[in-house]
This record gives sequence, C-alpha cells and structure tokens, in this order.
Amino acid sequence: MSMNEHIKVDDDGDLSDDEKKKLLEDGVFTTTATPKLTYNWVDITEEFTSLAKTLNLGELLLDKHFGLYEAMSAVEMMDPKMDAGMMCNRSDKPTLTFDKGVELGVLRLEGLDLLEQIGVMDQVFACFVSWIEGNSLAQTVFANLYLHKPFSIEERSLKAFCITAYKMVEIIKHFIDQAAVFEEEDYQPMQYGYRLVPDVSEQRTVGMLREVEEDLFRRLRQRPPQREADCLGALLARIKFIRLLYSVLGVLGRQDTEPEARKELRPESELHKALNMCSEQLTIMRSTIPLAIPSDSPKLGFEPLANQRLLPPTFPRYAKIKSRDEAFTYYDDLIQRLRVVCKIYSHASFHTALDFFMEFSRQKPCLLSRSVLQVLYIPQPSSLLTNTRVVEVLREAAKSFICPPSLASKTLLASNTQAKEFLDMFLLHCGRPFVQLIQLCGHNRARQRERLAHLLEDFSNLQDEAEKVDAYLHNLTSKSEGRRSHLACFGTWILYHTLRIMIMYLLSGFELQLYSVHEYHYIYWYLYEFLYGWLLSSLSRADSLLLEQESYLEKENSRGKGKKNKVKRKKGCRPYARDITLCQVYQNLCGGYYKAAIAFQRTGKINIPKSEFDCEKVRYEHRFLPFSSLHTPPPMQYTEFCDMTKTMETQICVQSEKQSPDHTRLFMAACKNFHQARTLLEIMASSDQEINNLLLVAKTNFVVLKLLAGGHKQDSNTPPIFDFSQHCHFPIIKLN
Amino acid sequence: MSLTDELSTSPVDGLNISCGNEEVQVVEAPEKIKLRSWLNKNLRIEMSDGRILVGAFLCTDRDSNIILSSCAEFLNSSSEEARILGLVMIPGRHIVSIHVDNSYETM
Repeated sequence: MSMNEHIKVDDDGDLSDDEKKKLLEDGVFTTTATPKLTYNWVDITEEFTSLAKTLNLGELLLDKHFGLYEAMSAVEMMDPKMDAGMMCNRSDKPTLTFDKGVELGVLRLEGLDLLEQIGVMDQVFACFVSWIEGNSLAQTVFANLYLHKPFSIEERSLKAFCITAYKMVEIIKHFIDQAAVFEEEDYQPMQYGYRLVPDVSEQRTVGMLREVEEDLFRRLRQRPPQREADCLGALLARIKFIRLLYSVLGVLGRQDTEPEARKELRPESELHKALNMCSEQLTIMRSTIPLAIPSDSPKLGFEPLANQRLLPPTFPRYAKIKSRDEAFTYYDDLIQRLRVVCKIYSHASFHTALDFFMEFSRQKPCLLSRSVLQVLYIPQPSSLLTNTRVVEVLREAAKSFICPPSLASKTLLASNTQAKEFLDMFLLHCGRPFVQLIQLCGHNRARQRERLAHLLEDFSNLQDEAEKVDAYLHNLTSKSEGRRSHLACFGTWILYHTLRIMIMYLLSGFELQLYSVHEYHYIYWYLYEFLYGWLLSSLSRADSLLLEQESYLEKENSRGKGKKNKVKRKKGCRPYARDITLCQVYQNLCGGYYKAAIAFQRTGKINIPKSEFDCEKVRYEHRFLPFSSLHTPPPMQYTEFCDMTKTMETQICVQSEKQSPDHTRLFMAACKNFHQARTLLEIMASSDQEINNLLLVAKTNFVVLKLLAGGHKQDSNTPPIFDFSQHCHFPIIKLN
Repeated sequence: MSLTDELSTSPVDGLNISCGNEEVQVVEAPEKIKLRSWLNKNLRIEMSDGRILVGAFLCTDRDSNIILSSCAEFLNSSSEEARILGLVMIPGRHIVSIHVDNSYETM
C-alpha cells in the first residue's frame, strides 16, 4: 500500500539524477521495504484450545530454548498500559497523512494565509524545544505533516521554513552527537528513517530564506492595512529568527582552529550581532503569538500519531509539546547561553577553561548549549587522544600551576632524551583523564557524580606515575647544582585535581539530595578535616614553588642575562592568594556544619534511624566508597571519624572531668567557624555571585548558631531545617 | 541479581520437572506431542479487537495464553502494513482464532 511510495534509503549512492529528483519531490519520508512472504494458513483454533486444556494448572508447554526469564520481557497484548496498538490507545479518527491532509484540504500547499503560516511555524518551534528536551523526533518535529514532504509545498515562505527545519535538525543533531554528552534522559538520537535533505546546501538554505525575507519586506513597504502589516512583521521575524539561529549554529560548528584563535567568538563579531538580532526577533515573535491560529487547530498539520507505527510498542503515546510561550523562553535562554559559551575563547589555559566548564555546568544549561561548548573546546573527539594539542595544553597547565623545573627551562631536558620521553609519556597519559574531566562537565548534573567516581581510578594511576616522574627528574636535577628541587611537582599538580574531583563528588550529593540530615556530620567532617585541608596545602605548595621559581629567575636575570624573562607579576603578591582564601572559607563552612550537626545530634534535635535498622559504619563506607581506590590521598576509615569526633567533643565540651559534657559549647565552636568564613569573605570583597551567596549563608548561620549557643530553643526537639535555596552545597540552618 | 542468574542458567529443565520426573522418562501424552509439534512454527492469531498477530509459537498453558516471538501486528486481515512488536503474550481470552503456517509441510 503506502509501502510503494517510500523509497529505500540504503542504496542511496547508486541513484541517478532523475531518481534523486523524484526522491526529493516525493518527500523525505522513507523506510525499508520487507520481502513479501507467503503463508499457507491452516485453522487450528478448536484443536489448539482443546489440546491446551489437557495441560495441568500452572503447567507450561514451551520450547526448550525458552525460559521464564525471557517470558518476562514479553509485551502483554490487550493490556492498556503495555499495548500501544489497542483500540483504546488509538484515536477515533484515522491518523492523517500528508497526502490525505492535502486531499481533504486540511493541509494546503499554497495560498495559506499569514496567520496559518505563523501558527505552523510556532508549532514547529515548540516541537524543536520538546525534541531537544528529550522527546523523540518522531513525536515532535516529524509529527508535523508539512515536514513530511517539504518539497511539495508551493507556498515559498513555508517551504523555505520547512526545509530549514530539516537543516536545523541536522545541525543540532550533529552538535549533540559529536559532543556525546547526553544520556537517555536528555535526548533521543533516533531519526526514524527520515532523510535530512543533505542535497540542499547551507548557502542555498540561507539564500531561500533571504529571498522570502526580501519578498515580505517588499510587501511591508507597500503600506498594507495595519493588521496585515502586523502579520507580515510577525512572519518576517520568524523567518529571520530561524535563518539567524541556523547561521549562528553553522558558524559555531565550523571547527578549523582552537577556540582561542577564533575571531568570530569575540564580542563585536558578526556572530554576536546575529545573536543580538535573534533576541530582537524573539521579542517580536513573543508579542505576536496571539496572532497565530490556535495550537490545537488541525490546520497546523500537527498529527501526534503520524509516526506512531515507527515507534517501539511500549513507547509513551504522546510527547508533551511545549507551549509556544515556554518554547520562546527556551530560545531566549539558549541565545543567552550561546553568548556565554562563546567566552571560551578567552580561556586559553587549561585551568581557567576547566573552571569555566564547571561554572557553566553549575547553571544547569540545556543539552544543546552544553554540546556546543564541548564541540568548541574539543573539536575532533576521534583524533583527540593522540592529539599533540592536548599534551601541549597540559604541559602549559602544569607549568603555569607549579612550574616544575623540567618545564621551566628548555635546557634541562634538551640533553637528556630519556627524561624527555619519560615526561612526554606522562603527559600523554594525562590526556585521556583530563579530557574526560572536561567532557564530564558537559553531562547533566546527576550523571556527573558517577563519572567523577570512575575518574578517580584514572587519577589514582596518574598519581603513581606523577610521583615516579618527580623522583626520576629529581635524581637528575639534584646532580646539577643551583637547581630547584623537583620533588612533588607533578605529584602536587595531580593531587590538586584529584582533590577537586573528590570534593565535587561529595558536594554533588548535597545538590542531588542524596544525603539524609543524619549523614551530614561525616560528609562535612571529611571535607573539613581532610579534603579542603589537603587542597590548601597543595595550593600553598604550588604557591611557594612558583615564588621560588620567580626569585630564581630574578637571580638569573640579575646576572646580566637581560630582561628577557621578566615576570610581570607584582612582587609580594602570592599567585594563589584568592584560591587559598576561598579554600579556607569552604573549610570553615564545612567545619561549622560538622560541629553544628554533631551538636544537633547530641542534643537530640536530629532524628537518627533506630539503631536496630541502622549501621552508621555501613552507610559511611558506602558514601566514601569511590575514595577507596586511591592511595594518595589515603581514604579515611570510619574508626578515624569516630575517634576524631570523640577527641573534638572532649576538647570542646568537657570543662572539667567531673562535669558532664556541655554540647551547647559545640554550637559556639561552629559559630566561630562561620564567623571565620564570614571574615575571610568580607576581606575578599568581590561582586562574584558565589562569594555573595556564601557570605549570606555564613552570616545567617553565624547568627543562628550564636542563638543556639546562648540556649535559644534549648528544650525544643524540632529538627532544624537545612535550606539549600541560597547555595546548593552550603545550606542556611533554620530553626522553627 | 541472583534471581536473574538462576532463571537464565536453569531455564527449561527445571520447569519440566513439575510435569514429569526427570529420572523416570515419562512418555508424553499424544496431546502434548501434537502441541509440541507446533512449537517454533508461525502462528497467525486473530484477537478480539480484530488485530492479527503473526509470530513464532514459543509457549502456551492451560488457558491458551500464547507467547509469540518476532511478532508482527496487522490492523486487520486485509492490512499489509506491519508493526513489529517483538516478544508478545496474548491472553487466551482475547484469542478469536489460531492458524498455523504449514507451507513447509506442503512444499
């Protein structure tokens, strides 16, 4: 039947020009035909049922290669929840197709009025958003019948729009597939046999849209009646918008050089002008939504079930299509995010780029912008692992972080090829884990956690190797006099990243609401006592090594080598001053929460699971399981937590041996931590959003804990509330 | 985990024990032999809502609940456009007619 109209895709390469043309005229909907089978059916209904009745109750007659396990995955027919083809799951009216729609006059190939065109376009825009947000193409964009045969449409504006819609699907898919930072909950990659008009070039597409724009503009200049002018303006805005967005994605997708060298990413470029114009068009589009025909009109050509039979049997029946208003809000945000993404050009060094990725991810951006950022920074994923660029980027990163003597001077390794090879091999091994760290930031927040855990194993290996490289180079350099020591250079660099990953892992649990309140104490304890402490010492070490290198260079310079290696940094200013202070802030905050949580528990304000159903040790070990694969830093055991907490309590709470411990003193200790954090933040005095949020958290908690230490609500057993609305990792403690 | 392992490693034999002790080789009833002869053959089952399902016969029980593999669904007897469903279970009470394909036997 309809099978004959479809063209097979698989033998595409052998098509003659005529066939190709026909293919385009017929539209883009294709599927592969199945060979015809002949059966010789014999009725066995009576015989079968009577024979079956001879089986015992519960007895199964089955093939010996078939077991219950397989049977579990069978779809039960006539079960409304599993059987998508059931009558109750089908609409009363038969599913409309493009041809039928044209025949019935629901779809029109030409002479559509402006309101109808605006409606169709808005619907397609909404479908796009629904698709990118995780629905299947078949139920969103391709559920619009006009898109089934765009080449049959005579109305020029709609035809150009529909063809561009295909090009948009193509380019968006390309970004997302290439970046590969999606999971099944983010995005569905299936294309369902739709061909994405590869025959129409980018220039041709843009050209078509420009022609339409000129035409609309001409009609506008003829001073039509107000209402018509409004509609023309609305249509023009939509055509312009899709052209601009398409071009922007086209420019972003061109990957000839690394982002730092790409002029088009800088502000004041054509790209940014186009983004600004996109925003302008969106304002017009948003204000003209009411002009279009309503979103439930059949004239839109939107047939939710158009591709139902292409979908798996248990697929959700309807995708929820975004409202037009929601869709335009999405585009507004997308444009904003694309502007942010472009800023990657200014982050030439690996460390600032990594911070940029982490910061961008914290804002929970959409999949498309995440993918664009990935593609911009890591152009060719396939060749990347062997790419010399990664090695060079990491060499620079290590050099700027801690300036190992082996990287600081070119002469040191020039004479020793073995040492050079050793170092290059280490940097090459760093490539994959570090690239994975960048890629991980592209995934959705929930999935980052499991990836962080896996990455720790790789970093554990790198740590070993880094220490070996350090030792080897140290042996080598210590022989030549006057050199700086090479010990723990690369080791510190890797440790710094390992610690950051560990911290990210623990903190993500707060953001994802995985921890119960009665677990907070040991999570914050780990962060307070170890992770931030170690991070501090690794930063201080890097800091002092950098200063050491500076003074070494100065000495060299003063010996009359000229001012070639003049270091620009002001004297006396520590390179990691800000990072170190911020690290101290976090450490103090964690200390505050840890002590507060212990105090709440001891005073019975936090509900603890009944001991017969609970084992804190098991819980603890589960929470810190990914750390067990590490040697440096060593994983901390539960007993250590118990011992250290006990010591801390005795120190703070027990005044004299005869008195029972006074736990309100713990509140005072926590209060001091928050006060310390607050003082440090105030010294930093920055307009940074993160700093301001932290300051608010520290200030509020300081006040609350001071009250508690003073005996406020001492007798109440109402549990405190940890409010994460200001900061997703560091809550405001509230008492009700 | 352990449950799925158990099911996948000891599938059929374990189930057969319920109808006949493995140690004593019981001669199967002729009814069962007849039913067994249809296993893995293509069945064409019409359901109470008029849809036709075609697939390989894998399993049945006393109530004629039938499991078909690689099943294709046709909307009515004249329809040629199939939808592939894969493994399905058809409750016996929804079966209107059963046909077996004997094109191999007549060849």
